Amino acid sequence: MPLIDPSVVDLSRLQFALTALYHFLFVPLTLGMTFLLAAMETVYVITGKQIYKDMTQFWGKLFAINFAIGVATGLTMEFEFGTNWSMYSHFVGDVFGTPLAIEGLMAFFMESTFIGLMFFGWDRLSKPGHLAVTYLTALGSNLSALWILIANGFMQNPQGASFNPDTMRMEFNSFLKLVFSQDAQAKFVHTSIAGFVTGALFVMGISAFYILRKQHREFAARSFRMAALFGVISSLAVVTLGDALGRLDYLVQPTKIAAIEGLWQDSAAGGSAASAPWLLFALPDQATQSNRAEIGIPYVLGPLVAHSFNTNIPGLITLEKEAGPRIEKGITALTALKAYGQDHDASALSTFKANEKDMGYGFLAQRYAPDQDLNLITPANQSEVIAKAEKDTIPNVFVTFWSFRIMMFLGFYFVALFAFAAYFSLKNQLERNRWLLKLSMWSIPLPILACEFGWITAEAGRQPWSVFGYLPTFQAASSHGLGYMVFSLIGFALLYSAFIAAELYLMFKFARLGPQPHHKEAPEAAATAPMFAAPAE
Amino acid sequence: MELYVVLKVVWALLLGVLLSGLAVMVGMDMGVGTLLRFVGKTDLERRTALNIIGPHWDGNQVWFILGGGAIFAAFPTLYATSFSVFYVVMILLLFSMIMRPVAFEYRSKVNAGKWRGVWDWAFLISGAVPMIVYGAAFGNVMQGVGFHYGWDGQYYQDESFIWYLLNPFALMCGVMSLALSVQQGGTMLMLRGEEPIFSRARKAAIGGGLVGGLLFIAGGFWIAHLNGYAFTTPVTPGAPATPLEGPAVVQMTGAWLHNYAAYPILWVLPLLGLVGMFGAALLNLARKPVIAWWLGAIGWIGAIFTTGASMFPFLMPSTTNPSQSLTVWNASGSEYNLGWMLFFALVFTPIIICYTSWCFYVMRGKVKAEHVAHDEHSY
Amino acid sequence: MGKLFTFVGLGMVLVLALVLAVVAGDYGPWYFAWMVGTVMIVLIAGCGAVLFDSQHEKGKGEI
Repeated sequence: MPLIDPSVVDLSRLQFALTALYHFLFVPLTLGMTFLLAAMETVYVITGKQIYKDMTQFWGKLFAINFAIGVATGLTMEFEFGTNWSMYSHFVGDVFGTPLAIEGLMAFFMESTFIGLMFFGWDRLSKPGHLAVTYLTALGSNLSALWILIANGFMQNPQGASFNPDTMRMEFNSFLKLVFSQDAQAKFVHTSIAGFVTGALFVMGISAFYILRKQHREFAARSFRMAALFGVISSLAVVTLGDALGRLDYLVQPTKIAAIEGLWQDSAAGGSAASAPWLLFALPDQATQSNRAEIGIPYVLGPLVAHSFNTNIPGLITLEKEAGPRIEKGITALTALKAYGQDHDASALSTFKANEKDMGYGFLAQRYAPDQDLNLITPANQSEVIAKAEKDTIPNVFVTFWSFRIMMFLGFYFVALFAFAAYFSLKNQLERNRWLLKLSMWSIPLPILACEFGWITAEAGRQPWSVFGYLPTFQAASSHGLGYMVFSLIGFALLYSAFIAAELYLMFKFARLGPQPHHKEAPEAAATAPMFAAPAE
Repeated sequence: MELYVVLKVVWALLLGVLLSGLAVMVGMDMGVGTLLRFVGKTDLERRTALNIIGPHWDGNQVWFILGGGAIFAAFPTLYATSFSVFYVVMILLLFSMIMRPVAFEYRSKVNAGKWRGVWDWAFLISGAVPMIVYGAAFGNVMQGVGFHYGWDGQYYQDESFIWYLLNPFALMCGVMSLALSVQQGGTMLMLRGEEPIFSRARKAAIGGGLVGGLLFIAGGFWIAHLNGYAFTTPVTPGAPATPLEGPAVVQMTGAWLHNYAAYPILWVLPLLGLVGMFGAALLNLARKPVIAWWLGAIGWIGAIFTTGASMFPFLMPSTTNPSQSLTVWNASGSEYNLGWMLFFALVFTPIIICYTSWCFYVMRGKVKAEHVAHDEHSY
Repeated sequence: MGKLFTFVGLGMVLVLALVLAVVAGDYGPWYFAWMVGTVMIVLIAGCGAVLFDSQHEKGKGEI
């Protein structure tokens, strides 16, 4: 059976990456803004001051503009596994589909139902009633992220399922292992809190813009204060969780951590593991398996990655060589599995069982087997096949190395920015520090950028696998024709470009317009100004 | 009966419930989208129509997402195969579906005729196209789809997409689905709308119900002359779920009526569908939208369960390799997975029903144009 | 009577929170950290606003 046309796989990957990255432009803001809105409304309910209600409503309006595209592009994600990753869906659907379904039942219904009430229910609910609705929306959106990241955690470190040769797929066998997998836990908290940082900087940056222009002073100063405090703790927590995730990668995805650190040789290769440098800058070159223009800080790598001075961290070249025997066993496993599928021969099954944990490596070899058929591998050509497949066992180092670094540098920058912001806000010296206000304003898009690069680090670093160690990405795609892919890619490109143009236009329009003053004389529902009473500029 | 078989049957029923919930709730919003340009002649009328489903469209849409997720988890092989085989159609569905949330949120945020006009067309497309695709998918699945599997479970497509887009039976199912959504959307507009929206929506709803009902009858006669599928060797429902090996299957004209011949009680289902569709049309004629809405929902449920009952246990037969046809027995998840999913469904469905009803209760009453014009939060 | 219901209701919420905390604390330390952390982040942001109000009670002042 021939493999899927590599260019179709590449286009499928491109489409998934583009739609996921695009979706992820909007998600972090939702995760963070909902809780920030809840914090503002809490103050409103407790103190009864109208200004906090105005804050909740104004930031809520900007939030809604963002939320709509988040929901729309989320639909794509839910369906793309089926439309483009058919083999993947078949192979792990039994365990991977479950968290997605539970997400719908537990989280998405909650978020979507209550968000309607959150925007439309101001006049129909009591104060605490509406506050509860806001909290439920926030909880719903974050629970949504929880189940998605449990699913993603499974791709990184498959826990709670095993391969069933009778059905040719991974089958679910432990709910607790799936839900409480270390990867899922750390990923969820890291992502959710990164969303908090995004939301906080969004509110803080736009507030800074108002303070700079001496508009909506009371409103902006309070929003700035809340966002700065919200952000300072969140940004610290993101860094902590980032460290936890790095350590997990070291334990279960050694190829990813080696690529993140640009580590071609073992960390002990230079004499001692302790003095191994952590690279600040390097230009990794996949072809020569080395870095150019390295700038490193000695004695940092070990403690950072392994939390130890004298543990050797295996380099990519070592990891490639270690994959060789696994590929060989994988070939044995898959040929036995195929034989078992044909005649249910018991000896084939026991051969497969003995080599089962390397079956994914057999898939990797399939690409280089004669006619892409593992049965045609002979002792004569086996070593050649394995040598080629070995090269495929590590991710693209340049991409992983740099996307990680950009994310991490930005992460530390946020800690510093929020620390200054919180300090000067608490001291009431914001207006004296215009540089800080300007910096906050221009930094609004940076957390979104950091989130995108975080996603790239996690998913590019996972390659060549779609399910780590079990199913290579090229094997996971649907066998479409090229024309299908071109059609859908062009459609997505046109539609998504139109959306982002509309969203940016509205976001700038309403952010410039700012919160609207109230007509004191009008009663309750109509108490707010008609939406388009004031000109945009 | 073994537990695994029971779980498979329960999930087949729940699949029917999900597809019905999706049709009723999402179909209603789609119907409003389709009708928007017809029930609203002025901008304010259109805004009023949008705000009738404004607080609920997002929650309703989750039925669609949940449908996707539940098929993924409960029938992974069905999800993997059907979404890929119908690629071009699914992508068209997605494109039209993702326009809708954006249209809701953005349409009324800029007060310019051109801007709003563009989004009004987006509502028409994103209302009508998904419903036609939804119905057509049922029509195609009933006729069988060209696919087979390799030894490792990878599917291979054997027919081009043009065939799936353009065949008369599928198109008829598509039009029927569109008609029913117009009925349900029109009824909702009557429920919470005032004149002149009420009268315009009423006409559309009555028309939708009648067209839907007539096409449903036509489909019933048509199906007797179409190829159905039947097993020719014994079936073991409790076997591990894989389409790679299993009983032999043949195509046979009229096989989709075998279940009805074997269990005449099943005729209740199409009857329920007809009572729902024509009953709703009658009650809309009598200006009773509340009962009409529920009857319309029963019409959908009847139609979907009629289809399910005639195909059971087939889910998506293969025309090119009938023995690899997907059935309830061979496309489902593992026993452990189906068990956990059932647990979650049993715990959360009542909770969802409670808060969804509460949300409709809080937002009850007629949507008034003056209020829409002055409320800052309205669409 | 109404008070009693309030107390019983609050008591039940408390028990639920405790059970959730114990389970999350045992199996998912990071999940537990998220729950506690998020509540803390929201509260601190809220306190910041209240502090702002008390700092600015007399006159407008600098911000």
